[in-house]
Amino acid sequence: MQKTRVFHVNGMHCSACVILIESELKEIAEVGHVKASLSHLSVEVSGDFGDKSAEHIARDLSEILKPHGYSLTPERQKYLPRWHEFKIALPVAGVFIVIFLALQKIGILDFVQASEVNYSTAFVIGLVASISTCMAVVGGLVLSISANFAKEGDRVKPQILFHVGRLISFFILGGAIGLAGSVFQFGSLGVFILSLIVGLVMLILGLNLLDVFPRIKKFQPVMPSFIAKRTHGLKNLNHTLTPFLIGAATFFLPCGFTQSMQIYTLTTGSFLTGALNMFIFALGTFPALALLSFSSFSIHNKSKSGVFFKTVGLIVIFFGVFNLLNSLVAIALIPPIFNF
Amino acid sequence: MKATIISILISVLLIGGAIWLINGQGTDGEGEASNTSIVGGKQIIEIKAKGGYSPRVTYAKSGMPTLLKMKTQGTFDCSSSLVIPSLNYRTNLQPSGETEIEIPSQKAGIVMKGLCSMGMYNFQIRFD
Repeated sequence: MQKTRVFHVNGMHCSACVILIESELKEIAEVGHVKASLSHLSVEVSGDFGDKSAEHIARDLSEILKPHGYSLTPERQKYLPRWHEFKIALPVAGVFIVIFLALQKIGILDFVQASEVNYSTAFVIGLVASISTCMAVVGGLVLSISANFAKEGDRVKPQILFHVGRLISFFILGGAIGLAGSVFQFGSLGVFILSLIVGLVMLILGLNLLDVFPRIKKFQPVMPSFIAKRTHGLKNLNHTLTPFLIGAATFFLPCGFTQSMQIYTLTTGSFLTGALNMFIFALGTFPALALLSFSSFSIHNKSKSGVFFKTVGLIVIFFGVFNLLNSLVAIALIPPIFNF
Repeated sequence: MKATIISILISVLLIGGAIWLINGQGTDGEGEASNTSIVGGKQIIEIKAKGGYSPRVTYAKSGMPTLLKMKTQGTFDCSSSLVIPSLNYRTNLQPSGETEIEIPSQKAGIVMKGLCSMGMYNFQIRFD
């Protein structure tokens, strides 16, 4: 007997998920027709399941979707913001932010004493850059992206690909700058727009991590479905190419240190010197950034993960606001706020 | 309930600390004014750029041509990417050395602002 049932899908967040869920469920012998909907976070399944109860079917189907991080329930699960998690998340995020501000205040930049750039100073400059105000841009982005992937259950691969993408792009683009002897730089307006976008993306990702407003998930930056539809390994692509490309794009993020290194690199006049120079600089930024991107490893207990994501969410929101305010200051729209 | 109170207390303390960090001790170099000199009818202002600008506030004379000397010493941070909006000036200071910027004669009362391109460091020149 054919029967159509509607289930609520937990963990569906992107248009690629729709295709993945549909293709997985179609594989099951009992299932005739499947239609998943992202806007309703539901899936419509027609098929002959005998006299199994809705709960039973949901459990069976969830078993198949589990490896992908989805589960089905007959009814929409009641949404729980779990406000009590802020009790720990807020002070922890506060400590992190105060440490960040204090680092800027005590003048970590004085560690860079060199006036000439060579490979070892490039590394030291990278180390300092990664804990300087650049951390608000690059570090904030790393933290928000890796936490969002970790939230979907993918803790290792996207993070590694992000760093691989970053190191490769610094090597290749560094070489290109060295060879060409000119550097691609954004003007005031370009920097402003870029900072604005980075700030807004961080705000959205940060709010998403707080897990307080369920609706905001729809604004998450993901691969457009028309690309996702044309390729196999749907979720895989989103978790492979996206972090790699974002990592590669960090070369262009507005960060004073990256810019000075790029300007120095263009004076080298050689592909290899330029490439190594930027690569070693990126390598210097790696320890701090790796610490941020693999911070999700600290979740040992599933029930504590909410606290972790709320903490990261608050930090990312702070960085987002920090970047937005700074970008408004930079175009002299508002008076300076931070006095480092 | 106790946990909530402790959490709120710590948060308030941290926010207070953060505000103190942002705005506190913002007076270094202010009022010293030893960074200006007049040589041959031209006013010369020297400002160091490294991890921010120093001095943060410079008092200068109005109504005379001015030369702003930006001094760098191993400067690789944002302060090397200098923007002076009112002059429509934008440059990348070399990591070590001196960059000279000509400022035309300014009216009294004008406050000229310099910023790094990302906006977290700034300095002022007050003409009076």
